[in-house]
Amino acid sequence: MLRITAGKLGNAIRGTIGVTSSRVAAVRALHGSEESAEDFDKRYEKYFSREGIDGWEIRKGMNDLLGMDLVPSPKIIEAGLRGARRVNDIALAIRWLEGCKDKCGDQKATLYPYLLEKITPTLKELGIPTIEELGYDQPELALKSVYDL
Amino acid sequence: MSIMRALCWQFERKLPHQMARMAMLRRETHHDGTRLMSGDREIVGYGVNGSPIYVDCVEFPFPAIRYREVTADLCAVREKELGDWKALSLQEKKLLYRHSFCQTYAEFQHFTPDWKLVMGVGFWSLAIGLLISVWYNFKLYDPVPETYAEERRQAQLRRIIQLEMNPITGLSSKWCYHTNKWK
Repeated sequence: MLRITAGKLGNAIRGTIGVTSSRVAAVRALHGSEESAEDFDKRYEKYFSREGIDGWEIRKGMNDLLGMDLVPSPKIIEAGLRGARRVNDIALAIRWLEGCKDKCGDQKATLYPYLLEKITPTLKELGIPTIEELGYDQPELALKSVYDL
Repeated sequence: MSIMRALCWQFERKLPHQMARMAMLRRETHHDGTRLMSGDREIVGYGVNGSPIYVDCVEFPFPAIRYREVTADLCAVREKELGDWKALSLQEKKLLYRHSFCQTYAEFQHFTPDWKLVMGVGFWSLAIGLLISVWYNFKLYDPVPETYAEERRQAQLRRIIQLEMNPITGLSSKWCYHTNKWK
């Protein structure tokens, strides 16, 4: 009795929730491809140069990018700077430059001059000062201790 | 101020109203309170966790609010910012940056001498612990048992060898029973 019931139940289940092998293949193929570096750059360039992007989205994109294990390519940096120009926020542009410089890590001596060389035309065009021009490559102000406030 | 008031009510009144006040306290210390504390600061993004808080860190360099509140002077510069950025002086650019952010990367990553305090506190705790253990040894513990005396320990060793304890890899394996000497 139990065996008959179990067999029938098994058949019923196979009919309703059973997954055929072709379906498995179709689902697994969905995340099979890996994004190339060029595609990644293009995606973020497109993200920053989208018409009608606001400061919120720009900050989200920049926060995401600076959290990744990579140095943003000059193209992305330029797109980010132009995005900051479009929302009229120069502080955002300067902070973005600082963040990109920081991402160079221990390769600052080689990578940062290269990045700077590539983005200088955009900086000149938009009137954004470099970190060195602002004097922000060295600490400028000290923070007052919270106990003295 | 309102948190203090809520706290005072907590102590003054009795049970029936307690739940409502607890809810208020929670509200004022958690989310709406954070919003109140952020004052007239402009909310510009999601930030770290969606709360309107300001923090300088590498992981999230763009906090949810601007660092300073809006003032009349600043509005004039913000108006100027709408135009060509080349028309802004370096001072104005710095002012705008400091309006949005508290510290630059170079400042918040600057190495501070805090390690001295940490080491100092560590060494002080060690010293106090050592003093306490010395005091225990002299004042609190009884003298060691008589089995710790040299001749008694020698006798114990002799007995271990006679009983041939641990003859393969242990103590007795190192004793030669023919010459009655250590190997």
